[in-house]
Amino acid sequence: MYNSDTPTRAELPTSAQLLKSTAVAIFAAAAILVAIVLPSEYGIDPTGAGRLLRLTEMGEIKTQLAEEAEQDRIRDQPNVVPAFAPAPSPAKPLQGSGLLDRIYAEFLVGRAQAQETRSDEMSVTLAPGEGAEIKLVMVKGAQANFAWTANGAAVNFDTHGDGGGENISYEKGRGVADDEGVLEAAFDGNHGWFWRNRTDAPVTVTLKTNGAYSEIKRMM
Amino acid sequence: MAILSVVLAMLLSTGLAAAHAVAEGDKGYIQEITGIHLIPFMYLGAKHMVTGYDHLLFLLGVVFFLYRLQHIAIYVSLFAIGHSTTMILGVWFGWNVSSYLIDAIIGLSVVYKALDNLGAYQRWFGYQPNTKLATLIFGFFHGLGLATKILEYDIAQEGLLPNLLAFNVGVEIGQLIALAMILIMMGYWRRTDSFWKHAYTANVLMMTAGFVLIGYQLTGYFVA
Repeated sequence: MYNSDTPTRAELPTSAQLLKSTAVAIFAAAAILVAIVLPSEYGIDPTGAGRLLRLTEMGEIKTQLAEEAEQDRIRDQPNVVPAFAPAPSPAKPLQGSGLLDRIYAEFLVGRAQAQETRSDEMSVTLAPGEGAEIKLVMVKGAQANFAWTANGAAVNFDTHGDGGGENISYEKGRGVADDEGVLEAAFDGNHGWFWRNRTDAPVTVTLKTNGAYSEIKRMM
Repeated sequence: MAILSVVLAMLLSTGLAAAHAVAEGDKGYIQEITGIHLIPFMYLGAKHMVTGYDHLLFLLGVVFFLYRLQHIAIYVSLFAIGHSTTMILGVWFGWNVSSYLIDAIIGLSVVYKALDNLGAYQRWFGYQPNTKLATLIFGFFHGLGLATKILEYDIAQEGLLPNLLAFNVGVEIGQLIALAMILIMMGYWRRTDSFWKHAYTANVLMMTAGFVLIGYQLTGYFVA
């Protein structure tokens, strides 16, 4: 402790100064909490200051993402812990049904590969903050041409797939007006698009697809 | 071993099974937005500083024996210049430095400052290293640490520079808020007669925390 000069008692803050500083700090903290932290973290905005500063949007997005992640966890639970899963048909043993499903899947997959290609067009309208997902049922290696447009607006998207316990994200983007290309399934399962409207007006997304898939469905 | 790998696979699949794999919290928010969002980024910068215990520890070390406002201003400015520079350059050029190594160096900065406060360099080497220069240099490393965190956030390219500058302003605001809290506590403490007795112990504790940070981050570097 050589690199410091010992302050004299008179140089230190007085007790009154310190108490005043503490009071100021408490008031400032309360104001920051109510006007800034609560809107930013939880979307709670009693004063309206958060909305004015565009911070409430952050809290709302965080809350929404947390809820969606929670729903995902609940939805995924039966796959992870089969013991707690409600058996779809209690008469059949769980493992056997899984195996049968697999055999059926392989069989259907074999047929799907042989089937003709198809083409579809679908539109979804998303309110601000809303998300939607459309997926194609594809076998590994199958290809589908796609083109989607947000019809003059922009959306966030995640082109991804899942199935048989596998997950993949092919491409992600933010504030994109349209996209097109070829989707090639990395494994058997559902492959498609998740879009989210982060603008403050409704957005309609139109998707055109054609290629080797057996089904097109809106997941959410 | 086989059981372990099955358990691991299950754990991994839980993490990945989330549909369209949304990130949550601050990262999730940043990945949902594009364009210029100055005040939200200022908020995130301030939050990062106020909740970043490694920065707070170093800041505490820096002002531990400073009690004149103009001295505090000089050191805090040097630290701010240091971390602003490397934070913005690091994000702009996408310097891909291991966050574990950087955070280990930040831990080292805490140890260095604690030893400095204890007068160790004068006792051991009969020489006092320039405290201002050290503050600036460690500021550079703290900024690199910030940059690696921001890169993990994956900010949209659109509006990147204004958002980064806003984040940096937020970091300074957060630093001032943290500093105000530290100074009020130090004010009460300095007035007690036992301050000079406990100051030594406090710096030893700070050094301990710095060593823990180093070990924690280096382990992460080799394990992760």
